[in-house]
Amino acid sequence: MSTITVLGLVLLVLMVLVGGKAGAQSFLALILNFGLLYLAIVLVAFHFSPLIVTLVVGMLVLALTIFMSSGDDLSSTVAFIASAVVLVVLVLLIVPVENWALVQGFGPEDSEDLEGLSVLVGIKFVQVTTATAILSTLGAIAEAAMAISAGLSEILEQHPQVSTKALLGDGIAVGKQIIGTTFNTLFFGFFGGFLALFIWFTGVHYSFGEILNDKIFVSEILMILFAMVSVILTVPITTWVMTRAVAGQRKRADKQGDN
Amino acid sequence: MQVLKTKRGLLWAWLIAMVVGGILVWGTAHDAALYRDPIMQVTSVKTGKATKETDDFHNVDSQTKQVLSGKILNGKYQGHQLTVSNVYSYSRAMDQKYHVGSQLFVVVHDRNGQQLTATAKDSKRDTTLVFMVWLVVALLLLIMQFSGFMAFLSVAANGVLFFLAIVLNGSTQGAQVLWIFGSLAVVFAALTLWLVIGANRQMVITLATTLGGTAFSIIVALLVFHVTHERGMYYESMQYVTQLPRPLFLAETLLGSLGAVMDESTDIISSLFALKRERPELSANQVFKSGRQIGSTIMGPLINVLFFIFVADTFPMAMLYLKNGNSWGYTFSMNMSMGVVQSLISGIGIVLAVPLASFLASRFMDKKKVTA
Repeated sequence: MSTITVLGLVLLVLMVLVGGKAGAQSFLALILNFGLLYLAIVLVAFHFSPLIVTLVVGMLVLALTIFMSSGDDLSSTVAFIASAVVLVVLVLLIVPVENWALVQGFGPEDSEDLEGLSVLVGIKFVQVTTATAILSTLGAIAEAAMAISAGLSEILEQHPQVSTKALLGDGIAVGKQIIGTTFNTLFFGFFGGFLALFIWFTGVHYSFGEILNDKIFVSEILMILFAMVSVILTVPITTWVMTRAVAGQRKRADKQGDN
Repeated sequence: MQVLKTKRGLLWAWLIAMVVGGILVWGTAHDAALYRDPIMQVTSVKTGKATKETDDFHNVDSQTKQVLSGKILNGKYQGHQLTVSNVYSYSRAMDQKYHVGSQLFVVVHDRNGQQLTATAKDSKRDTTLVFMVWLVVALLLLIMQFSGFMAFLSVAANGVLFFLAIVLNGSTQGAQVLWIFGSLAVVFAALTLWLVIGANRQMVITLATTLGGTAFSIIVALLVFHVTHERGMYYESMQYVTQLPRPLFLAETLLGSLGAVMDESTDIISSLFALKRERPELSANQVFKSGRQIGSTIMGPLINVLFFIFVADTFPMAMLYLKNGNSWGYTFSMNMSMGVVQSLISGIGIVLAVPLASFLASRFMDKKKVTA
């Protein structure tokens, strides 16, 4: 058996042992997410617009990740709507910045890997790089939205009459608790992946100025910064969606009370 | 630091950050003097006709030549007018299209006495980079206030440590990469948790869980590698490798999963401490059960976070492989297999940390009362 199969089986067994049915569901979500990511790559290779593919696949990934984890209906729905809003806002930020930064495609450091490959493939790499940046933050958006909405729904459970204004403050308070550790997840996740590149920079003695303007370096750092922006934005947006949902629920409850 | 907790102090900090950041962004657009390589600002562009190109795999693209005229902004050729020719393609994977106002690095060829000629090297990107950092800091301070500042501080501190470790790794020719980054992981975790939680019993338990979970995942991975003889792992597909790939891969995985395991154990253990404060009568077993409950809801999304970070990055290269007539399977092996292995190992660490956090928290959180 290949290493991936065995590691996958070990992970599945552990997830079921620790989380039971929820664990198995999360594992399934992970596999489906991989399928969606690969599908996105194939669709772009077939000349579908990278941005539209990313938006559609992004929505599906968010829905899968959020609805296949355990959580009550209200917090899952709120988390999904909020993360979808964040995704759209993020696209509006990433598209102009990627066009401005000119970090599309590959850099001189990739030359060895590109040997024997034709790069004139007739697909706009600005859009491909934009798609990459958006896809790499999807997990972080879903996780942050779920954490905030779960925290808020717990507060609502304990204090059902809390005012929507107080709820806004609570959302930010929950956000403050998670932001420090979430940033570290992102920092280590990304830097773990870039370790080889940074070692390259010091090994080949790039100057500070060269690193700051290097295509690959800037593109990777921008990805971390986009992910951080998306997590920061997730906090107020999720809180806001939650207050709207609660306000809507209370209105309906009042109407029913009147009848 | 305390001043940042008041409303006025915060407002001032935010204003200062905005202004300083704004100056920095403006400054990087006018910082050519700081660079040794000559930088040219484009003042006019003449665009030629596009020529169609078709490669061996029937990919249709086009190439266009543009002649850029501009002025050198720095160095000994400052003020010289130059024209540079540049070719860009429709897909622009390895080339650039420049506009009026673009700043780019050029190589100037000075053949004594004759007119200066130059070739385009690469675009200048520091302004975009500084702008985005500025945006993140401004949003953090605005929305997260003091906690945002602390989060930023811990990321900055870790960044400095990371840089030092890379320099150290370079000075040992990469022979000790796993040891360097393994011990760095301990320092990283201790520093971050101290900044986020403070120095107390909760922090010690969280640190023990983080290190234990990460270490277990690496041990499991090495066992699996041993059993399967690393079949289906393509170390040659790793990018930018300048030293022995296997220890480098393990170091990358170790660092990558560290943050997520830390995130998770902080969540579980702080919830359990809060729970115990509210209901001190809970037995150790009940606390353990709640910990498992909390952990099993957050582990799935966390594994997803790392999966997308590790694997989405391979998108452009994987797509290029597909466009160059490679099969889906080969494209996966050569681009995504290592990222998937990394995600799986991190996932194992994330899952193992759940029982570990619950166990350690349930057994050790009220030792203080016994000793007091």
